[in-house]
Amino acid sequence: MRLTKLLERVLSAIPVAIGVAVLAFMFLRFLPGDPVEIMLGETQVTQQQIDSLRNQLNLDKPLITQLALFLAGVLRGDLGVSFVKNAPVVKLIADTLPATIELTMATVLVAILIALPVGIISALRAGSIVDRSVLSGALVGVSMPAFWFGLLLILLFAVELKLFPTSGRIAATMVVDRTTGFMLIDTLLAKDLRAFGVALKHLVLPAITLGVVFAAVLARVIRASMLEVLSKDFVTTARAKGLREWSVIIKHALRNALIPALTVTGLQFGELLGGNMIVETIFAWPGLGRLVVSSIFARDYVVVQAAVMLYALTYVAANLVVDALYTLLNPRISL
Amino acid sequence: MHRLKWLLVPLAALLFASAYAEKLTFVLDVAENRSDEGQAIVAQLQAIGIDASLRIWQSTVLKEEMIAGNRTASATDWGSAYFDPFDLAIPKLRTKDRGNYSFYSSDVVDEAFRVASTSIDDAARAAAYLSAQRQILADAPMVFGYVLQNIEASSDSVHGWEPAADNSENFHLTTVDGSDTLIIGLRTNALVTLDPAMYRDRDNEAFLRNIFDALTIPTSDGKVQPHLATAWRVIDPLTYEFDLRPDVTFSNGEVLDADDVVFTFDRILTEGGIDGATSPRAGLLGPISHAEKVDAKTVRLVYKNTFPQELVLQALTHFQIVPKDYITEVGVATFTAAPIGSGPFVYARGALDAQVVIEANQTHWNGAPKLKAVVWQMMPEASTRIASLLAGEVHIIQAVPPDLVERLSSVPGVSVHTALGTRAYQIELNNSTAPFNDTRVRQAINYAIDWDSILTNIYRGYADRLATPFLPSGFGYAQDLAPYPYDPAKAKELLKQAGYDTN
Repeated sequence: MRLTKLLERVLSAIPVAIGVAVLAFMFLRFLPGDPVEIMLGETQVTQQQIDSLRNQLNLDKPLITQLALFLAGVLRGDLGVSFVKNAPVVKLIADTLPATIELTMATVLVAILIALPVGIISALRAGSIVDRSVLSGALVGVSMPAFWFGLLLILLFAVELKLFPTSGRIAATMVVDRTTGFMLIDTLLAKDLRAFGVALKHLVLPAITLGVVFAAVLARVIRASMLEVLSKDFVTTARAKGLREWSVIIKHALRNALIPALTVTGLQFGELLGGNMIVETIFAWPGLGRLVVSSIFARDYVVVQAAVMLYALTYVAANLVVDALYTLLNPRISL
Repeated sequence: MHRLKWLLVPLAALLFASAYAEKLTFVLDVAENRSDEGQAIVAQLQAIGIDASLRIWQSTVLKEEMIAGNRTASATDWGSAYFDPFDLAIPKLRTKDRGNYSFYSSDVVDEAFRVASTSIDDAARAAAYLSAQRQILADAPMVFGYVLQNIEASSDSVHGWEPAADNSENFHLTTVDGSDTLIIGLRTNALVTLDPAMYRDRDNEAFLRNIFDALTIPTSDGKVQPHLATAWRVIDPLTYEFDLRPDVTFSNGEVLDADDVVFTFDRILTEGGIDGATSPRAGLLGPISHAEKVDAKTVRLVYKNTFPQELVLQALTHFQIVPKDYITEVGVATFTAAPIGSGPFVYARGALDAQVVIEANQTHWNGAPKLKAVVWQMMPEASTRIASLLAGEVHIIQAVPPDLVERLSSVPGVSVHTALGTRAYQIELNNSTAPFNDTRVRQAINYAIDWDSILTNIYRGYADRLATPFLPSGFGYAQDLAPYPYDPAKAKELLKQAGYDTN
């Protein structure tokens, strides 16, 4: 029963992805700017050269034909070849996605490490000075522009204190063979613990930049739902049974309070997987966000279409995982 | 009587209009990167009674609007790959040419450009360029702007390196104190490809020039020198012949000879010549027909129309010679992943959007480089590049923004270097419709802008004023032609003559 439900949910992602693909296709074509004009740059070119390039990229065909060609490709699993980089889109995305996933994981970890204790403590001490400073701290965190915060971290921790590197995923002089594309895994596979440490250090500042903002949101959510749960009857009952306070909080209250936090985390995870162009640019982090934004500027339609489809699928998947986790936390909820 | 009343309305309007001329009103369009400059310009125009306002665009969108003729005044910039007006002033000002966003048209200028781009007589070309510059200055088809310098910075441990006008990075003679590896922070988000036939942008070229050689090479200030070609001669007005350096091999041991040169040009000139894809570089070669082998060490380039020798030699600096046998054997995909060239460095490994490593070519015909390796780090954010240089993680950084130069200059151990730029910045005025179809109005705007203050305050003096879109580094530049001076009184007078109110 559950399996068929799950399968149903997975299959329902397909029309969503195709619908999003069609929308992405149309929006991009309505965006002013000509990829051929941009590609040829500031050269002396003949009209014949322009026409030939346009023909090669199928840009001279009617929009509906282009859309049909694109959808046919998608069904065959062929997402096309980037105009600008002359490389298959699948490869371009596969090259950049691991960097983004790695940063996303680290970001979520940083956020949870900050938000969980902070959220619980401020709920337990609601109204106290601690609580109020957490709330205002969270407000600062949410309002802080990543651009500014990231540069601040670089100047303080990389330039002044030299505790962490300014940017990149690994030291310039280190050689790490690419196997999975995940620097932490690749360094371990190469049994190079020093490189692993260096890669870990490179993750710290960008993960904090993104993680602090997310932690601010998450801490508020955890605080609010903890407050709600703590006033529920079953908590009173648990206390009345004489359970230890930490056991009441962790086993009874927190478990139930986590559901909204999980929803927020799932959505945030989906968003982070899209790559964060600003943070990836500041930290010279070769992720998906930079690929997509530079492709938008170059009107490299093929790359953007594929990425938008990937985003849609990521959201669907993240939601699905969150729903599955609900059932673990609360058996009364089912898929 | 009742009917006559209707006649009075337009009559009164006419009288009103003649007594109270309207202000000159227009919108100045700029892309994000020039919004500070745009604000300063608008303020200066408003000060002399012009009703100017600023609109900020995403550059690609603005470009399309401009090409469609929908804009009246737009800030643009255009780069030059030649040290010659051939690919800057000509496409920007020849009637209906590709970069002519001002919709300017002048028979005198068109004729001068025809001579300059086809004559094989240098004196005639120079004279043609001079007459074009004088005409353009008088017609003022656009608001002439400036050329930005190329600002880079390095650690003081780096020796034997200087930035180049065309953004090349030549590390053949470079050394770094205490290290055999140099690390450079590039301004680009990602290199595009390792195949010398498949890119258009300069950052890619700056990199590829280190692993490939071309027939000619530019000095850092743009003079062409022999490289793989040791000598050349004119066979007839359409044919140039080149002698190839005898002792050159690719890094895999393959000898570089006429077959490789012909192959290099063939794959660029053939439509679909690179596994079905067409090279975007053909346009850079001018009106070329084909390349042909004379003997193993002699090649000819045959043109469809006469093309000046200086332009041929300039163009050749942009075409890296690739190994025919290797590419034929392994295919384009493998070549692109593991390129083999004859340059001072060999490609080692890397990811085009993160970092790429090249190592010294010990068998280079011109001697092995002193460095063992160079690491090219992609660092698209200027503040990060600067932080990285200050933290000692990189030795050289490209593209230092003028407003951050001061911060760098005050730090011991690093220094800022500049080179001439090759990109002209201007404001296009739409010559085909009012108000800028009137020469007086266009001249007035040229007089009305105080460029000196803009270049000093916004670009901190790292920009040089231009009289026209002809660069001082280019062939046929008119040294004695002074740019429009800042003269608000003269601007007002011209506007009054054109029928505008300037109060």
